[in-house]
Amino acid sequence: MIERSPFFDALTYAVMIIGLILVVIPFWIVIVAASQSLQEVSRVPISLLPSDQLWVNLSEAWDRADLAPKMLNSFIVAIGVTVGKITLASLSAFAIVFFSFKARMICFWLIFITLMLPLEVRIVPTYSIAANALLPFQVILDTLGITGLVQAVSGVQIALNWNLLNSYTGLILPLVATATGTFLYRQFFMTIPDELVEASKMDGAHPLEFFFDVLLPLSRTNMLALATIMFVSSWNQYLWPLLITTDRANFGTVVMQLKALIPAQNGTPDWNVTMAGALIIMLPPLLVVAFMQRWFVRGLISRDK
Amino acid sequence: MERRAVYRNKVLPWLLIGPQLLLVLVFFYWPTSQALYWAFTLEQPWGGGNLWAGLDNFLYIFRDDRYWGTVLRSAFYALAATGLSMLVALTLASFVDRALKGTKLFQSVFIWPYAIAAPAAGVAFRFIFSPEAGLVGAINDIWPGIWDPATNGIHALAMVIVCHAWLGIGYNFVFFLAALQMIPRSINEAGAMDGARPFRRMLDLQLPLIAPTAFFLLIMNIISSFTDSFGLIDTMTEGGPIGQTEVMVYKIYVDGFKGLDYSGAAAQSIILMLLVIGLTFVQFKWVERRVHYN
Amino acid sequence: MKTTWLLSAALAATALTAASPAAAATKFEFWYGLSGDLSERVQEMCSRFNASQADYEIVCVSQENYENNLQNTIAAFRANKQPTVTQISDGGVVDLMLSGAFVPVRELMEKNGYTIDWSNYFSGISSYFSTSKGELLAMPFNSSTAMFYYNTDALKAVGFEGAPQTWEQVEKIATDLKAAGYECPIAFDPTGTWQWFEQFSAVHNQPIASNGNGYGGLDAVVEFNKGKFVDQLTWYKKMVDAGLMVHKSKAAGQTANEAFTAGECQMSSSSIADHGSFSKQAKEGVHWDVTVLPIWEGTERHNSLVGGAALWTLKGKSEEEYKGAAAFYNFIAQPIEAQHWSTITGYIPVTNSGFEAMMADGFYDAPPYKGRELAIQSLTATPPGEYTRGIRLGNFGAVRQEVSKAMQSVIFDGVAPQKALDDAAARSNEILRKFEQTYKGQQLP
Repeated sequence: MIERSPFFDALTYAVMIIGLILVVIPFWIVIVAASQSLQEVSRVPISLLPSDQLWVNLSEAWDRADLAPKMLNSFIVAIGVTVGKITLASLSAFAIVFFSFKARMICFWLIFITLMLPLEVRIVPTYSIAANALLPFQVILDTLGITGLVQAVSGVQIALNWNLLNSYTGLILPLVATATGTFLYRQFFMTIPDELVEASKMDGAHPLEFFFDVLLPLSRTNMLALATIMFVSSWNQYLWPLLITTDRANFGTVVMQLKALIPAQNGTPDWNVTMAGALIIMLPPLLVVAFMQRWFVRGLISRDK
Repeated sequence: MERRAVYRNKVLPWLLIGPQLLLVLVFFYWPTSQALYWAFTLEQPWGGGNLWAGLDNFLYIFRDDRYWGTVLRSAFYALAATGLSMLVALTLASFVDRALKGTKLFQSVFIWPYAIAAPAAGVAFRFIFSPEAGLVGAINDIWPGIWDPATNGIHALAMVIVCHAWLGIGYNFVFFLAALQMIPRSINEAGAMDGARPFRRMLDLQLPLIAPTAFFLLIMNIISSFTDSFGLIDTMTEGGPIGQTEVMVYKIYVDGFKGLDYSGAAAQSIILMLLVIGLTFVQFKWVERRVHYN
Repeated sequence: MKTTWLLSAALAATALTAASPAAAATKFEFWYGLSGDLSERVQEMCSRFNASQADYEIVCVSQENYENNLQNTIAAFRANKQPTVTQISDGGVVDLMLSGAFVPVRELMEKNGYTIDWSNYFSGISSYFSTSKGELLAMPFNSSTAMFYYNTDALKAVGFEGAPQTWEQVEKIATDLKAAGYECPIAFDPTGTWQWFEQFSAVHNQPIASNGNGYGGLDAVVEFNKGKFVDQLTWYKKMVDAGLMVHKSKAAGQTANEAFTAGECQMSSSSIADHGSFSKQAKEGVHWDVTVLPIWEGTERHNSLVGGAALWTLKGKSEEEYKGAAAFYNFIAQPIEAQHWSTITGYIPVTNSGFEAMMADGFYDAPPYKGRELAIQSLTATPPGEYTRGIRLGNFGAVRQEVSKAMQSVIFDGVAPQKALDDAAARSNEILRKFEQTYKGQQLP
C-alpha cells in the first residue's frame, strides 16, 4: 500500500460503496417489487423495503409464463451448448496446435473469423438455412451430378432435409458454431511446454493419449472458465430462440418468456409478478457466475492475448 | 505460434477438427453466402422465388435518410454506453486495486451484471424508469410530464443506454482490475516517492499502461452494443417511440421479420458484418503493434 | 338471455352425444393470432370441435398476435412445417394471395363434399378475402369493425343525451367534460391506425390508395396525404394539445381500452370485438355504450371496413389433414356455433342469415349485447364502394407502420401533419414499388 492516509481510505470505501449501490440497486428493486402486493407495487414512489408476497408472486409468475418446461428447455440448451462447445473446441484446438498438416493455417482462420461476427449480426443469413441445414450438401450433390447419378442407378432420389425449426439441435448448434472456445483453448495449448510433448512421444504414447492423459487434466481451469462463459451466454440468448421457435409451448426458453410477463394489453399493471419472473429467470446464470467466479475471471481475461 | 514439437499424422487432425469445420461451414459460411445472394435479389416473403436486383437493395438503403439516422444512432449508442460503462468500471477497478480490507466482497458483487440476460435487465429497468410506476416516475409527481420515455425519443434512448452501460460494468471491471494488478508495484511506488498525487499517478503512470486493455475493451463493448442491444430494446421500447430507439440490429429485425423485407434486411446485415469485421481488424492491428512494443 | 341459455344447452348436448375420439384421429394444427380472453374462446371452440367428432383432432396454438402469427407462419412455411390452418388478418392478405401458398377455401370445401352458400357471407367480408372475380379464398372467421365507445354517465353529466354522431359533437362533449373536471375526455392511441386512420377514411369515402385502394393492380400509389385525413390528423393534434384527447398506449403503461374500462377516459374508439371483454372488464359503476364512428357534419356516411381475420388453408399438407380442415370450417359455419362465437366475443356474425336469425331472436334488444347490431349498421351503411371495400396493398403491414410513425411524429414531436403524411406517403410508395418488383409480372388474382 502506498497511501495510508485515513482520508484516502475513506474515499476508497465511499467510492466502492457508491459503486455497490449502483450495481445492486436494480437487483434490489427487482427483489423488492417481486415481494410486494399489487397495491404496494403500484405506489409511486415505490417503497424500498421488501414485503411478504414474494412466494405468491413467484408462483404466479411461474404459472403465468409456464416456466417449468421453459426452465428445462433453457437448461438443456445451456448445457448442450456448453458441452458441445468444450468438446469441439478442445478437439479442434488440439488439432491446430499440436499437429502439422497442410491446411492448418487455413483451418485456423476459417474458424477464427467466426469470432468476429456474433449471431445477432448475421441473424438473417442463419435464419435463411433454418428450414434445411443440409441444403449446402444437397447443392453440392446436385452440382456434382451425384443426385442425378444415384437416381438413375437406384431410382432413389436424394433429398437431404434437416429442419432446425422447433428443435433442440436448432437452438444449440448455431451457438456452438463459433470460435470463442477454440480460441481460448488454442491460447492455453500454446503455453504447454514442448518438453511435455516430447516426453509423451518418447513414451510412444498415441496423440490421443497425450490429449486425454496430459492436456485435459492440465486444462481444467480453462474448461471451467469456458463452461461458465458458455452457460451464461447461451442461457441469456434471446433473438435466436425467438426466431427459431414457433412452437413456444414446447421449445420456448425462459428468457423468451420475459416479454410475455410485461404487463400488456387488457391487463393490470402487476409489475410485482413481472419482477418475480425476472428474478427466477436471472437467477441460474447469476449463481453460476457467483460460484465459479475464480475460474471464470481467469478465463475471461485469458481471451485477451 | 510455431511449435517445435508436433505430431505428423495425415488423418487424425482432420478427424479432430472435422466436426467444428463442418459446423462452421453449415452455420456460418453457407448462410453468409446465402445472405449475400439475398442482398442482391428480391426475395419473396413466402419463399417461392426471387429476382436478381443487382445493387438495388444497397442503393435503396443508402438513399434512405432514416437508415443513416439509424447508423448515427447506433454510433452514438455504442459510444455513450461504452464510455459510461468503462468509466464506471475503471473508477471502481482503480479503487478496488488498492486492496483495502473487505475489498473482495465488493469485487465479487461488481461482476454480477455480467450474468444478467439483457432482456431481463431490460424488463427491470423498464419498471424502474416507467413514467407512472417505480422509482423515476416519482419525479413526474413533482414536475408532471418531465420524464416520459413513452413519447420522448431522447428519454427512451437514454433509458436504454443507461441499462446497457450497467450490463457492461461487470465485464469491463474484470478486465480493468486485471490490467491494473499486472502493473508492477514498483512503478507506482516510484511515482509516489516522486511526490505524485494518486490522481496524477493514475493519469500519468497507470493509464498508459492499461491503454491496450482499454482499447481492447472499447472494441469488445462496441461489438456488444450490436448484440446485447437487441434484447434491451425489444423488452424496453420495441424501437419506439417513432423508431427513435432503433439501432442497426433492431432495424434488421424489424425490416426483415416484421416488415417481410428479407432482401433489404440481408443487405443491411452485409453492411453490419463489414462494419464489425472492420472494427475487429482495427483491433488486431493494435494487438500486433502492442506485441512489437513488448 | 333466453337465447344464450338455449344455445349453451344445445352446445352441451352436442358435446355429450359425441363419442370419445378414436385413437386413429388425424391431427392437424391451427395457428391463430389472438391472446388473453379471446384466445381462451378459441381454445373452447377447438375442444368442442374435437368432442363433436372422432376422425380429426385439431391442435390450436396461439401465436399472441396477428403480426407474430404471420411471421411464424411464414417461417414455418419456408421450413415446410406449416400448420394446416392459419389465421391471417387484413394486413397480410396480398402477400399471401400472390404467394400461392394456400388452397382456396371454396376449392377445399367442394373437394371434400361440403356445400356452403357463399353468397350468404357479408359482402364486406367476402370482398376483403376474395379475388377480383369474387372467389372467396379464405374462410371468414372473426370479423369486426371499428366503433366509438362512450361513458354514458359522463356524457349525461355534461348534458349530452344519446350517442354522439359527429366529430363536432365529440369535440363539444370533450370540451365540456374537460371543463367539468374530467382529466381524460378521449383516449387516443396514435399507433391505432386501424380505427383512427383506415376506418376514418372509409366512412368518409377517402381514398387510401389509387386503383381503388389497390384492388385495380399492384401499381397503386397511396393517396392518404391528399384528402380529408390531413385535416383529421391536424384536428387530432389540436385535441391532444388542448388536453381533450389523452395519449394512452401500451408503451405509456395503460392502453386506451384499459383507461376506458377503468372509467378514467370517457370516450374511446376500438373494435366491436372488444364489446364482450368491455362488459367483463368494466369497473363497478362504469356505464358505457357503443355507437358507429362519428363523421363530420355535411359529409355522407359510407360503410366502414371489415376488420379481423380469416382462416387460410396452407399448401403442402396431406389429404387427410385437408379433410380435417374442411370439417373444421364446416363446424364453425354451423349456425349454432357461429352464433355462439359472436355471442361470447363481440365479433359480428359473418353471414346474412346468421345476423337475421339473431336479430329475430331479439339477441340485440337488451344488454349486454345491445349496441352490437350497430356494427352491422356501420358495415352496411352503403354497399362497399371503390374505397370502402377494403385495402389491397402489398406489404400493407409496413405501410401501416409508416402511417403510425407519421401520426406519432405529429402528436409527440409537433411535425406538421401535411409534412408528416407526405413523408409517410413517399416511404409507403417505395414499399409498394419494391413489392411490385418482387412480384414482377404477377397479377392480383
